[in-house]
Amino acid sequence: MTGLRQIAFYGKGGIGKSTTSQNTLAALAEMGQKILIVGCDPKADSTRLILHAKAQDTILSLAASAGSVEDLELEDVMKIGYRDIRCVESGGPEPGVGCAGRGVITSINFLEEEGAYDGANYVSYDVLGDVVCGGFAMPIRENKAQEIYIVMSGEMMAMYAANNISKGILKYANSGGVRLGGLVCNERQTDKEYELAESLAKKLNSKLIHFVPRDNVVQHAELRRMTVLEYAPDSKQADEYRALARKIHENVGKGTIPTPITMDELEDLLMEHGIMKAVDESIVGKSAAECAVA
Amino acid sequence: MSQNADKVVDHFSLFRSPEYMGMFENKKAFENAVPVADLQKAADWTKTREYRELNFAREALVVNPAKACQPLGAVFAAMGFEGTLPFVHGSQGCVAYYRSHFSRHFKEPTSCVSSSMTEDAAVFGGLNNMIDGLANAYNLYKPKMIAVSTTCMAEVIGDDLNAFIKTAKEKGSVPQEFDVPFTHTPAFVGSHVTGYDNTMKSILEHFWDGKSGTVAPLERKACESINIIGGFDGYAIGNIRELKRLLSSMGVDYTILGDTSDVWDTPTDGQFRMYDGGTTLADAAAAVHAKATISMQGFCTPKTLAYVAKKGHEVAAFNHPMGVAATDRFLMEVARLTGRAIPEDLTRERGRLVDAIADSSAHIHGKRFALYGDPDLTLGLTGFLLELGAEPVHILATNGTPEWEARVQALLDSSPFGKGCHVYPGRDLWHMRSLLFTEPVDFLIGNTYGKFLERDTRTPLIRIGFPIFDRHHHHRYPLWGYQGAMNTLVKILDKIFDVTDADTSNPGKTDYSFDIIR
Amino acid sequence: MDLTLDEVKARNADVISEALSVYPDKTAKKRAKHLNVYEGDKPDCGVKSNIKSVPGVMTIRGCAYAGSKGVVWGPIKDMVHISHGPVGCGQYSWAARRNYYIGVTGVDTFVTMQFTSDFQEKDIVFGGDKKLDKILDEVQRLFPLNHGITIQSECPIGLIGDDIEAVAKRKSKELGGKTIVPVRCEGFRGVSQSLGHHIANDAVRDWVFEKGGDKAPLFESTPYDVAIIGDYNIGGDAWSSRILLEEMGLRVIAQWSGDGSLAELENTPKAKLNILHCYRSMNYISRYMEEKFGIPWVEYNFFGPSKVAESLRAIASHFDDRIKEGAERVIAKYKPLMDAVIAKYRPRLEGKKVMLYVGGLRPRHVIGAYEDLGMEVVGTGYEFGHNDDYQRTTHYVKDGTLIYDDVTGYEFEKFVDRLKPDLVGSGIKEKYVFQKMGVPFRQMHSWDYSGPYHGYDGFAIFARDMDMAINNPVWGLTKAPWNAGR
Repeated sequence: MTGLRQIAFYGKGGIGKSTTSQNTLAALAEMGQKILIVGCDPKADSTRLILHAKAQDTILSLAASAGSVEDLELEDVMKIGYRDIRCVESGGPEPGVGCAGRGVITSINFLEEEGAYDGANYVSYDVLGDVVCGGFAMPIRENKAQEIYIVMSGEMMAMYAANNISKGILKYANSGGVRLGGLVCNERQTDKEYELAESLAKKLNSKLIHFVPRDNVVQHAELRRMTVLEYAPDSKQADEYRALARKIHENVGKGTIPTPITMDELEDLLMEHGIMKAVDESIVGKSAAECAVA
Repeated sequence: MSQNADKVVDHFSLFRSPEYMGMFENKKAFENAVPVADLQKAADWTKTREYRELNFAREALVVNPAKACQPLGAVFAAMGFEGTLPFVHGSQGCVAYYRSHFSRHFKEPTSCVSSSMTEDAAVFGGLNNMIDGLANAYNLYKPKMIAVSTTCMAEVIGDDLNAFIKTAKEKGSVPQEFDVPFTHTPAFVGSHVTGYDNTMKSILEHFWDGKSGTVAPLERKACESINIIGGFDGYAIGNIRELKRLLSSMGVDYTILGDTSDVWDTPTDGQFRMYDGGTTLADAAAAVHAKATISMQGFCTPKTLAYVAKKGHEVAAFNHPMGVAATDRFLMEVARLTGRAIPEDLTRERGRLVDAIADSSAHIHGKRFALYGDPDLTLGLTGFLLELGAEPVHILATNGTPEWEARVQALLDSSPFGKGCHVYPGRDLWHMRSLLFTEPVDFLIGNTYGKFLERDTRTPLIRIGFPIFDRHHHHRYPLWGYQGAMNTLVKILDKIFDVTDADTSNPGKTDYSFDIIR
Repeated sequence: MDLTLDEVKARNADVISEALSVYPDKTAKKRAKHLNVYEGDKPDCGVKSNIKSVPGVMTIRGCAYAGSKGVVWGPIKDMVHISHGPVGCGQYSWAARRNYYIGVTGVDTFVTMQFTSDFQEKDIVFGGDKKLDKILDEVQRLFPLNHGITIQSECPIGLIGDDIEAVAKRKSKELGGKTIVPVRCEGFRGVSQSLGHHIANDAVRDWVFEKGGDKAPLFESTPYDVAIIGDYNIGGDAWSSRILLEEMGLRVIAQWSGDGSLAELENTPKAKLNILHCYRSMNYISRYMEEKFGIPWVEYNFFGPSKVAESLRAIASHFDDRIKEGAERVIAKYKPLMDAVIAKYRPRLEGKKVMLYVGGLRPRHVIGAYEDLGMEVVGTGYEFGHNDDYQRTTHYVKDGTLIYDDVTGYEFEKFVDRLKPDLVGSGIKEKYVFQKMGVPFRQMHSWDYSGPYHGYDGFAIFARDMDMAINNPVWGLTKAPWNAGR
């Protein structure tokens, strides 16, 4: 598997991680790269824009109905979409039952054993939100993703998640060789978003690899279950994703070992940029009524 | 009074005395016991076709399965290497179970450690358990190698052995260059044979592919030697020694990968040998250069053989070869691979086995057999039974796959004696119970748990399989090779003759057939 | 040549430090707290207990599942016990503990069967509650005479967040109030079998006593009703105990749990006295019944004639003269047998030294039986005893006894090597280690497939077995004559 680039997109739920990753991968495909997307989110929505499908049959749901993963063939689970991008979705249980993390492990083991990666230049894992348990760290393990791209925005929780994911990467960076490829800021139009993303990236010993501006064409494309690259290839936004794709392509071997920061440091950062005000300790834990009296 | 100091009686007869029998009867009043008539009715119902259909309609419940879980096989495989301490990452109770299980079968000590993960490790991951565990095991038990596998607990929380072991080495738990092969062995995937396969492969990978990136991978320089992998085998002691004898008599240069024959058969001479025998680590590494690798049990080694084949070895897989033809095929394959002739001695041995079969097969011919066990064992046994003119009727493997089913069916189809037989993959011994009631056979072949079937259905049990807890020392005798087939033949014959004698021993009624010559 | 007491203590202290010297510092510090030489005037044995085992040291302990399914629940004969999770746990513990019972297995009783949900990967990923629901139906369909079902959780159940309580409640309702008991005995909980005992006791409390309501007993009460608590009927122990209690005039209305039934658990609130053999595994439910139903409980020890007599009198002291006389009558009845057994075996065993390492009761309880035979216990320890066990142990052990809690394989081997006992009593994992060393051995969990050992009938067997182990001619054959000098 020499020459195979394995990357992963992590990020807080709802941040536009799947949209960003699919558009970027579509742009990479446009550059002639052979792409395999491995969706590692129980929602199984990591490939819908490529496949123009609502949701793909997942490895785990097919395995459950067939008996076990050993009963599956690769072609049962792999679909081909836009520009021959190969797509698989790991899938997983309904919220609140079972163990989605184990599902990620099962699926990736299955794909490797079945030779799913043969012939690909890129394997991209699209991973649910935070690194919540060992299973969701599977794509970070040795001989899996070499670089992780964290999709974030200028919102507090997205930055908090980005920092958390960095912690997960750090855990495996020394023994396994995984690196933080960079942050991708998906513009939310919050205050000083760019600066904030830049300085968080710096704090994490990484870089803001691209700042993706907000553009309604993304929503228009999504309504049609398409990437912008396919829906409006000449749009400005398509060029943004092409730029990001190029940067990622050129970023090989340039990932870093992240230096996650403490919660306090993160708050300081936000205050520095005026996003958060210093907390008045005297009001902490007081109800509205109590504050009114005081 | 039931007891007697002169002739002390224990549970075998103590509780049959009137005092105790009366006590049991009185106890029923407090038990809400099922009335005798209802009990009898229900017991009879379980013997019916109707019950069998309900039983076979089960979709979720498993009752008396004939399989164990992956880490048991992992421990088995690891035990076959020189100075190797199996280390199972996860809950400690599992290791207590594996050790007991093997000790009850082999009547030998089984050394194996656990990383003793508890509730906190379930939440935070077991990295610290790995760091401390490796350090303690290394200092205390001075192994040459620690082979790590996992319990289902570690698998569910997703612990990463590769990263953990690297970190432990960085923290100085064991020296950087110390051999710690590892493999993930989730108990909820496959069975003990899967765990054997994963572990065998991981140990070979460790030595051949650069020890997790710490040294350069070995470059294969093909030589004349061959490797043999035994697979998970309750008769490993006898079987491996028999293999060695056969191969030596052919003058073959060989390496047994995972040689447990001395590990689980140490002398009682005043010394406890925690490590004895096993494939040396040097041999395990050098095995990469072999020209070929033979698996004696193909269902125990699919991934291992695929890996070995990728290295450029010619590979061959047998299925627990038993009997004349299977042994012939094995020896001829060895001869073909090595260019060594099969010596006259072995040809004569073969002739003696054929002689014995000719002498005795009249007593076996047409006898109906049910058998269960691991996929390879059942295949090997079926082949031998067909050779003896016996008629297999039910063949069951709880860990049998569709591929196994097809292989057994093909074997049955190759012989007129295999006509009326059905194959049951994925079924358990409670299914077998229904089969034995509704389609009775003359003999049952299986492991110790088969005694419950023997009791319920009165089908005489011939003990061949794993585990065997209630008969001693049979694991010391081979089932493989012509000699092994001879042992198996005698085992089967003895049971047939014992049953025949018991059936004909009623004085004045049936004892006209109580012959002294059979 | 016998050592003086001081010499024994010095030697024992020395062997402890020798064993500890091999450990990494951090581990040595931890293990040091579990090893001690007993000082005769102290109120406990001076060791820490019920603490996590150190990783990688080859602890002999098992897990909470083993404590619940293997010990407490498994012997209840008319219930189906489902090992819920992957196949292994149920497989390795299948029929291995010799909990004898009377019944038609597979029809009205189920102890020596292995019921498992045989979890596959999909059950882990998607959760196992639906499968469990189906399993309960299938149990009911195929084993309709079962009186109840327990769900014994294996590790994954707690990790994947299955709600087995909800399934149990729903199915119980569906099946007309059938007793279905979910037990949260996942193997990673606690530090040994011990927490499994506790969890199992609590499950009886919550799902039999408090759930089942006040079920009418199957009998008219008498003033002499007792329940045997904490006897698992290994090799028939509870039977050779029950017979003595009945002979002295008591009526045993329940056995917990060897040869026990669900009805007997439900009967127990009507007992006048709970008599508790295995304190470690069933003190919890005894205390609960004391609080809730006002039933007093008394510990007893049925190993060896001295302790049997002492215990019979202690039990009788809770009753009127009729029972007290009954106790004396029983003691007198068996005296000739006991005298004959001791006359036969004591000369062959006098002065022999024993080292023990067992679970939670026998490390102290069997000492009296050895002493009745003139033998001496020179070292003992518990797999999963707590501090209260080590306190109780002081009533049994002599000054200078070597005490080892949660002993490691390494330590035990070292200790035996230095103390050179004539007999070691422990479990299957230890048996062959010591026999290889030429040391006679008896399994003291399973009675090495013999038994019973409880009561007067049992003591005769115990004496015979110890003699047969120690005076086995094989121990004279371990050295090849040509190597005899070595």
